[in-house]
Amino acid sequence: MSIRHGLLALLHGGARYGYQLRVEFEASTGAAWPLNIGQVYTTLARLERDGLVAPGGEDDQGRAVYTITEAGREELEHWFGTPVAQTDRPRDELAIKIAMAVSAGVEVAEVVQTQRVATMRALQQLTKDKRAADGLAQRLVLDSLIFKAEAEQRWLDHCEAVSKEKNR
Amino acid sequence: MTVVELREVTREHGRVHALRGVSLEVAAGELVAVMGPSGSGKSTLLNLAGGLDRPTSGGVTIEGRDLAKVKDLAAIRRTSVGYVFQDLNLIPSLTAAENVMLPRELDGVRSGRARAEALEALAEVGAEEVAGRFPEELSGGQRQRVAIARALTGERRLLLADEPTGALDTATGDEILQLLRTRADAGAAVLLVTHEPRYAAWADRVIYLRDGRIAEANAVRLESAR
Repeated sequence: MSIRHGLLALLHGGARYGYQLRVEFEASTGAAWPLNIGQVYTTLARLERDGLVAPGGEDDQGRAVYTITEAGREELEHWFGTPVAQTDRPRDELAIKIAMAVSAGVEVAEVVQTQRVATMRALQQLTKDKRAADGLAQRLVLDSLIFKAEAEQRWLDHCEAVSKEKNR
Repeated sequence: MTVVELREVTREHGRVHALRGVSLEVAAGELVAVMGPSGSGKSTLLNLAGGLDRPTSGGVTIEGRDLAKVKDLAAIRRTSVGYVFQDLNLIPSLTAAENVMLPRELDGVRSGRARAEALEALAEVGAEEVAGRFPEELSGGQRQRVAIARALTGERRLLLADEPTGALDTATGDEILQLLRTRADAGAAVLLVTHEPRYAAWADRVIYLRDGRIAEANAVRLESAR
């Protein structure tokens, strides 16, 4: 997850101080990716080093604020204009588990059902969170997680159907 | 309070066992989803729960009445149970309001009162503005809202929905589920059949049917190496 670009996007809306960035980042993503304040300051320091943000003095309460630079704006535009690559995803533990269940001669349908119940529980929780979601950004992030959990459920159905056919 | 109860229900169609001993209760205020591959018995289960079909063995009780002892199943279907199906929901030659009024009029309610109830039910599902339109003039989501309004008139406490999100896009499907969820939260018992996990996830409980039985998550056993 690109914290760098997340912070740039928030700064594009105006100058902000560190804690404010953290709060707004979590509000937009529905706390799906909690940030600690240390990550925010480390990232801001790197963005400043790279010339993408600049210190913007202090606000009326004496907090150090940051602003986005022209180079930062260009970087942000580039990010929004570039699709996310499908490569270098972590290996999928569930896919490996099902593959190993087939090799080990375990009843695939039972592994599938156990996973299905657990994934459905997570999906139910996400749906609850979505009903309580505050604002469009949060809702869309939760929708993303819901679509992923749903894809897993469909794939599990597929595993069960295919392994049943092969056993006939 | 249990609104519908199935006890060890079996249903055979000739030599085919559509259901093999299923027990299930749905309480007031509860939304229960039934999932399973085609042929697993989902629709049979829903038809039995709504008195559209009788079990081969076992029993079904709706609001305390044992359906085996009820002679006039049609009366229970009209007064206690609301149905929402994927399609074939609305009568094309009637307006939305007239479609919602129909079951009440069949039940002997005067048409003035039936209309007032219909408009109230349409308002509850956010479809009051289409009351005077015909089904072909409505979007898929609006049609399904009208069908849900019809299933709700006359204070029916049991709502049965068979793939109510059919061909709707996911945002509209979510709205339909939001509506069913609201009805459950307001005290209805809702039994939903769906093959889509995202919609099942709105339920309090999700039940998986496999070959006419409720599938449980069992411990997985390793066969000892040979």
